[in-house]
Formats: sequence, C-alpha cells, structure tokens
Amino acid sequence: MIGRFLRLTLRGLADFRLHPVAQLLTMVAVAMVTLLTGLILTGFHTVNLELLKSRGQVEFQAYWKQDQSRDAVRADWDAIGAMPHLTDFATFTPEDALTELASTLGESGDFSWLAGDNPLPHSALVRFAVPPEAQEEGWAARLLTALKELPGVDTVNYTPFQTDLAQGWMTLSQVVIWPVLGFLGLVISLVVHNTIKLSLLTRMDEIEILSLVGASPSYIRWPLLTSGFLQGFVGASAGLGLLAGVHSLAADALDFAPFFIRIPFLPLEQMLMLAGGVTLVAMASSWVAVK
Amino acid sequence: MMVNVERLSYSFGTHWALKDISFTLAKGEFLFLTGHSGAGKSTLLKMLYGALPVTRGRASVAGMSLNTLKKRHIPGLRRKVGVVFQDFKILPHRTVFDNVAMALEVRGMPRAHLERRVRAVVRALGLDTKSYSPCEHLSGGEQQRVAIARSMVANPELILADEPTGNLDFDLTMHLMDIFKQFNTYGTSIIMATHSREVLDCVPEARILHLQDGRVVAEGEQPPGSDTCSCPPAPDADMAGSGDDTDALLPEGGRS
Ligand SMILES: Nc1ncnc2c1ncn2[C@@H]1O[C@H](COP(=O)(O)OP(=O)(O)O)[C@@H](O)[C@H]1O
Ligand SMILES: [Mg+2]
Repeated sequence: MIGRFLRLTLRGLADFRLHPVAQLLTMVAVAMVTLLTGLILTGFHTVNLELLKSRGQVEFQAYWKQDQSRDAVRADWDAIGAMPHLTDFATFTPEDALTELASTLGESGDFSWLAGDNPLPHSALVRFAVPPEAQEEGWAARLLTALKELPGVDTVNYTPFQTDLAQGWMTLSQVVIWPVLGFLGLVISLVVHNTIKLSLLTRMDEIEILSLVGASPSYIRWPLLTSGFLQGFVGASAGLGLLAGVHSLAADALDFAPFFIRIPFLPLEQMLMLAGGVTLVAMASSWVAVK
Repeated sequence: MMVNVERLSYSFGTHWALKDISFTLAKGEFLFLTGHSGAGKSTLLKMLYGALPVTRGRASVAGMSLNTLKKRHIPGLRRKVGVVFQDFKILPHRTVFDNVAMALEVRGMPRAHLERRVRAVVRALGLDTKSYSPCEHLSGGEQQRVAIARSMVANPELILADEPTGNLDFDLTMHLMDIFKQFNTYGTSIIMATHSREVLDCVPEARILHLQDGRVVAEGEQPPGSDTCSCPPAPDADMAGSGDDTDALLPEGGRS
C-alpha cells in the first residue's frame, strides 16, 4: 500500500518530463501571482510598520505668559518633566530663544540690541510617545488640557498630524484589510486554479484512459495531486524568491530625507501563509479536475 | 450469465443509436456484433463498460447491474472487463510496456508479477522489440496491438473488442484472432464488433448479432461457410507469436 503510494507519487514527479513547457508555464504563472501578492502584502506591511513607529507620538509647543517669573516657569517645567510618556522636552528661556532665532537667521540676524528688552516668552517643545495600551479615548486632547492648565502657560500649539494619520490608518486598515485579503485570496484562487486546470488539459487523455481501464479516482488523483503540490510549491517559492530579489533592489529606495523608510521584508508567517495558500489552491485545483 | 441485456435503448439527443436491443452472453461464449458503420456497435459496447449510462432497458455485466451502477462502482466493473477501444486510447508519450502495464497497475498487481505478465503478452503480440519505444513512434497496426495487449493482460472475465483488427493486414488479423480464440477457449467471454467477413470466418462457432440503425436485424449462428481461420497461417518471421508465448499469457489451468 505504501509502496503503491510511493510509486504513484514518483509517477507524479516523473510526469513533469512529459509536458515540460506546460509545467514550466504553470509554475511561472503561479510564481507571478505569488510575487504580485507578495508586493501588495509588503506594501501593507511597510505602511503599517511606519505608522506603528509614529503612532502615539504627539508634539506640543508651549508658550508662557510674558509676565511670568523665571521661578514660576521653572516650576511648570518641572511639572512637565514629571508627566508620563514624555520623550523629548526642550526648553527655551527668552535668551535661548533669541540665540536660536539669530542662528536660524544666520548673518543677517543680529538681535543683540533686543537683549535688554527681550520680547520673546519662555517656551518649550514637548514630545510624548504614548504606547497603544495607554491610548484611551481622547488621550492627545487630555495632554493638551494638562499643558494648558499649567498656571504660567499662555498658549499651546498642537501638531496632531501624525497621530490622526496613524489613527485613521488603524481604522482604515481594520476595515479594509479583510476585504483586501479576501480579494487577494480570490485572485490567487482564480488564477492558480485556472492555470492548473489548463495545464491538466494536456493530461485529460491520460485521466480518461486510466479511468477506462479501471483506475480508481484516488489512483488517478494522487499523481495529479503530487504534480499540483509541486507546481504550487515550486511556483510559490520562486515567487517569494523573486520578491526577495525585488526587495533587495528596492529596500533602500525610500531611505532618504524626509522619509527614512527602510522597506521591511514580509514576516515569516505571512510568507508561509502565502506559499501555503498558493500550494493548497494548486492541490485543490488538481483534485477537482477529476470529476 | 456474463452479459444480460434486455430492451436496451440509447439516444444521443433525439437520435436513437440503439433501439430495443436484447441478448445474453454465457460465460465463455464468443459473440460478434456486425453491422455497417453507424449501426450502433460502439454505442452498445460503451454502455457495457459504463462509458454511457443505461437510461432505458436493463443490462448487467459480470454480475453487476448497470441500472443501479453507482459511479464508485465503475472502476470495479472496468477491472472485470478488458476493452479494445476502436480509437485504441493508448498514451502516445508512454512506452508500449507502460501502456500495457497500466491495466495491471490500476489493479494493484505486485511489480514482479506484473513485469512477467506484461512481457508475455507483449511478446505474444509481436511487440517485444518495441517494448520500450514510445507508442507515438509506432505504426497504426502496432498501436492497435498495444491496445489489444492491454485488454488481455489482466486476464479479464470478459473482453469487449471494438473492431480490434481494423488496421491490420490479413496475416496479422489471423494471428490475433487466434490469440482471441485461445483466450476464449480458456473461458474468457468475448464480444467483438467487426464488419470484416474474414474475422467472422475465424470463429465459426461464435454467435452473431447483426445491427442496423440501432436494431438487431439478425441473430444466430454463422452460416456454414469457408473457415479460413481454423488453421491459421504460420506467424511471420518477425512475429514471435509461438504457442509457448501464448500459453504464458493465459490463466493457469484455464477458467472454470
Ligand atoms: N457522441 C455521440 N453523439 C451523437 N451521436 C453519436 C455519438 N456517438 C455515436 N453517435 C451516433 O450513434 C450512431 C451509432 O454510432 P456507433 O455506435 O459509433 O456506430 P458503429 O460503432 O456501429 O459504427 C451513429 O449514427 C452515430 O452517428
Ligand atoms: Mg464503432
């Protein structure tokens, strides 16, 4: 029994030499579908990782009232320094601010004449990185309120851009990811199924003849299943190989200012799911080809 | 009863290819189906090996009723029956050996036994020098012999042969008919479609069912006539069909 299955398996493998071109084309088609799907998944994965990095990051510019004493401001700064999830905290006294302004403006900016009566307030650049588990509803607004409520603080500016983008992406991807995955699955199934079906057309005679001389369906199917497995597996592996090639060429394509995005390769579990899915579809298609 | 057919009819759409056919075939009997091209010979044979469904009338083959035949029983039916298809149905890319062995492989015969039997049958049909040639390199007559070899190799209870000598010259036809007759002598039932007088004359004891437009128009024994086959011509030099080889491919001790 085992010997028989082994022989049928070997026959499935040996059958590859009967229609080499058809088999090769099938594998190329499978590889291409795998590559395209891999590219789409990589795109998803990259955006996800990038936004994960910036998600929860928020930046505030705080300005103190002109009349605040140095000590009052320092007390506020200590309070900010004690706030949770603080990552960057740059403080500027009016003098610092003036020097900063002068250096930004370069040669033309000589503001030493202002030093006696500096019009600039105390200010600070405050950055928080709030981890996802601490992001309850309205967390950014609450931080804003906390800063505004400091006694000496005059105004607070808030750059919500990245946070909102990240939140938006989160919502969007949750809504979109399943339909997209479903669509990709459908495309893979259709393309791989039809390709395998076409490649089996070259073997319909054989299937018919085997059946006419009394072969059981499982006897007919086993070699086909073996070929289907091989076509799917080799095709998917080749597709992932191509994906790795494309990746090595393009990984650094966005790695410059202002993006600094290194495109990551697909995580192992996604690669396995992709290759496994393609192989399964190929085998299933070979299976249903025999009525 | 090996084959029992009662009031069998079959239509392709509106065209009735078989009308109200009834006959029986006992174990070990030889039956010829005759009639012009289009008379319905192939259609009848196809029904007997389960390639066309029995939709009207009753039929049973080798103890299996074709009326209640489930799809999963069809392989079992086909393993009891050896079929020589009119269009051969051999795999052109595979060798003579592989094509003949196929009939034994699907029955799960152990390899050593299988090789012995395939070699014996291939030799009896004069194909031993071509054993390992792909069938696409063979002539039409050689391909037909491959098809015949495959139908015989598993020692079926019943052989259905659809014009098995259509592409063969006289000498070869006589030789092959001799092999069919030996199988028959050992107990194998045979139904053979033909429209060749020579072939009919080879088996004077056989019954004949003459079809015309799907109907049986004549039935019975052969009219006594010239019996060209009772003493078959000596095989050609390149045909290795000696008596020993033929014996090797028949079942030991015959069929009971
Ligand atoms: N697959 C088919 N579809 C439609 N008509 C068919 C088909 N096969 C055979 N026929 C018709 O059935 C009749 C009997 O054909 P067949 O059994 O092949 O005759 P024979 O073998 O005696 O030459 C013919 O008229 C033929 O045209
Ligand atoms: Mg015919």
